[in-house]
Amino acid sequence: MSTVNQATVKRVKETVAARCNGSLLAATEPHADTLHFTIDKTSMRSVVESLVNGFQARFMISIGTDSRPLTGDFGILHLFSLDRDHLYILIESHASDKDLSVPSITEIIPGANWAEREFRDAVGVHPEGHPDPRRLLLADDWPEGVFPLRRDFPYNYQPPPAEKANPQLREPPPGASVMPMGPFFPVLEEPAYWRLFVEGETIVGCDTRLFYNHRGIEKLGDSVLTYNEIPYLAERICGICGFIHSTCYCQAVEKAAAISVPRRARYIRTIMLELERIHSHLLWLGIAGHIIGFDTVLMQTWRIREPLMWLCEEISGNRKTYGMNTVGGLRRDFPDALKPKLLETLAEVEKEAIAVREAIIGDPTLHARTRGVGVLTNDWAKKICVVGPPARASGVAIDARIDHPYAAYDEIPPRIATQEPGDTWSRVVVRVTELLESIRLVRDAVWAIPEGPICAEIKKEIPPGRVGVSVVEAPRGEAIHFVLTGGDNRPYRWRVRAPTYPNLQAMPAMIANANIADVPITLGSLDPCFSCTERLETVDRKTNSVRVYSHAELLEISRRKASSGASSPTARRGGSQ
Amino acid sequence: MTAWLIKTFLLCVLNVAAALLLSPLCEGILRKLRATIHSRVGPPVSQPFWDIFKLLGKEDLRSTGGLVYAALPALTLGSVLLLAALVPIGTGAPLSFAGDLIVVLYVAAISSVLMMLTGFGSGSPYAAIGSSREMIMLLTVEPVMAIALAVGAFKARTLTLGGIANWQVQNGPSISMAIGGVAFFLALQAVAGKLPFDIAEADQEIMGGLLIEQSGPRLAMFRWAIWTKQLVLAFLLVEVFFPWPHFGVYPADLLATLVKVMALLVLVTVIDVVNPRLRIDQAMGYYMRVAVSSLAALAFAVIGK
Repeated sequence: MSTVNQATVKRVKETVAARCNGSLLAATEPHADTLHFTIDKTSMRSVVESLVNGFQARFMISIGTDSRPLTGDFGILHLFSLDRDHLYILIESHASDKDLSVPSITEIIPGANWAEREFRDAVGVHPEGHPDPRRLLLADDWPEGVFPLRRDFPYNYQPPPAEKANPQLREPPPGASVMPMGPFFPVLEEPAYWRLFVEGETIVGCDTRLFYNHRGIEKLGDSVLTYNEIPYLAERICGICGFIHSTCYCQAVEKAAAISVPRRARYIRTIMLELERIHSHLLWLGIAGHIIGFDTVLMQTWRIREPLMWLCEEISGNRKTYGMNTVGGLRRDFPDALKPKLLETLAEVEKEAIAVREAIIGDPTLHARTRGVGVLTNDWAKKICVVGPPARASGVAIDARIDHPYAAYDEIPPRIATQEPGDTWSRVVVRVTELLESIRLVRDAVWAIPEGPICAEIKKEIPPGRVGVSVVEAPRGEAIHFVLTGGDNRPYRWRVRAPTYPNLQAMPAMIANANIADVPITLGSLDPCFSCTERLETVDRKTNSVRVYSHAELLEISRRKASSGASSPTARRGGSQ
Repeated sequence: MTAWLIKTFLLCVLNVAAALLLSPLCEGILRKLRATIHSRVGPPVSQPFWDIFKLLGKEDLRSTGGLVYAALPALTLGSVLLLAALVPIGTGAPLSFAGDLIVVLYVAAISSVLMMLTGFGSGSPYAAIGSSREMIMLLTVEPVMAIALAVGAFKARTLTLGGIANWQVQNGPSISMAIGGVAFFLALQAVAGKLPFDIAEADQEIMGGLLIEQSGPRLAMFRWAIWTKQLVLAFLLVEVFFPWPHFGVYPADLLATLVKVMALLVLVTVIDVVNPRLRIDQAMGYYMRVAVSSLAALAFAVIGK
């Protein structure tokens, strides 16, 4: 763990105490790198303001918790990161049953928009003064006043289907017409509805409806599954970066329960995480090529990627979704006999990846389609709290592997790749550079991997009421898992934030005044993963969005299907493999 | 007179049949080539025939009613077949008359216009965008083809394609005709709907654009029309701009023409495979520059080069 600057810790404590004006209820340090302040909600805005302005704190996510059984009210936590100081700050405030609201911080941090709407939908605490308080993740026909993440809401409850359910979407500005992209659109691969307002071929605005793929994963985590079952569900949050989510969850629990993971396990996690980054970036490069009609890139990058998938299968038994992680370490060792083959495959992939890089860097048509397209300014990237390659391509040098080191990254640190322009081309360059850097990291980790056990022995029950925050730098950016431990051998609250969640919020600004032809590649350059983003809700009811399936018969059929059990909250694997 | 009519008719049928049968074969070979560059095995060469066979046997579904809309695919294919009768395929064009060059230009545009109408008529916003893109492409590419053919007409002092071809054979290569040929080739890339100019279809942006609502036999006819048009225009390019070597022996000439046409289409496909799609404004800018450059061919023609 990298050293936290104690002077900063002291300054943060002083500032928060001063801004609270006597309403600071508690200040604890659950871990060396985590500060937890409980404040009265009246001083929320001023505290958040001081953190953002005084410390350049980066907003990560909000966590709404129904803590009525514990404290008698609802807890709203805002999680911040001081990246340079390797520090997490949790600002907690409470809303009682009588006054179900907290002050909204979206006006201070535009990137908190979705997070606040999400806790409103999930536990029913209203963000007071939110600029856009529409529904975010609940289905359009979900009844009012039913909040799926409250403790008294059973995980298998199915509300009756509603009659006229419409997404609350904005109307186009005068003179513009609507061009729908979605809910099912070929290059998006997953359901998402982008309602583009166009004049001719120019985008003059847009609105979105997402969260069609809710799977109720968080609810299952704190009501049905146990600590050691959740890693398998976490791995299925995403079809591409599954290992990232299971690692991130395990790390959060390990941190909360103060379990020290053996060094060999941390190295193996690093190897698997970087292998995932390599094959994910190759996959993305192919899809990006496909989006602009360059299928040769798609075919070649996926061919280059394939031997890596075979290798993962040899290591874990599966091409994807390895099932290797468990709380405390790993269930399956890395076979040392595979080292020569791994290094050989990496050398081959590296050679071919460099060839691809040379081919695309010199391609004038590719430049024409990506340079200056979908620009995300540095300022806006910071405001929306964008993460991962899109942030780094806009000159925001953040990388969870460096800012909050985990696994073996403190011993083999990565070199960060940044670009300034923030256009699609920069995001291509950042990813290709990262791809080659990941090959180096795997190689270094394979050389340095120590002998020893792969799993810590856990003798005691995990104590309740502990907090654990963990981040993992996924190929798409930083994934966050937050765990508040509970009784019954399961978390009291498990919160997942995938990197696409903040990144998608930057999309409207990136396509403003763009050409229709640039929208798919701009969206693609964020490498969005909708299945990752949409993991909270309990029932999948996408079939009832009347606007899209306006045909009465179709609606009738889909209702019959929905009532005959098609909407069971089973986890579905997202992403293409 | 009757004998002449029968002879012309038979030649037309021959030309049309050759174009209709050769174009799926050609497409099959090009798909194989594309697959090879992709490191894929690819479908068998006969696949386009099976595609057409399969599509023709499907239900005829239409998104909107109306007789004209129903007839558009057949009209499109028909217009391309008329083009096939106007263009020399291996031998002189069956329908050859004074001024056929201008007719060829118009007939070549008809299929694009009909497909545009299909898009506008099908009631899909994606098709509407595809159609407007097709219109823009047509308006920018057509002048390039016209200028290239005008160079030939100016040099040979005739408005018949056969006349220009004969003049070319007799007088040998010239700078102006070479530039004109290159310009026509660049236009062919767009007319054939190949990358980087398949903007009107753009699967990833507008999901097939003007053809999004077409399926079954309608799609079969549009596909067939597109393949045939690309082949016929390749013949036109080869016969008018690059008719050498001319052996004067029919089988040898036919073979040489076929080889040249195939080489040309291979080149078109390679360009298609190694390029991403341009945006419509970028494509427009590109063809504007090509059109201006091809005026140089006219200038060379005027000074007799």
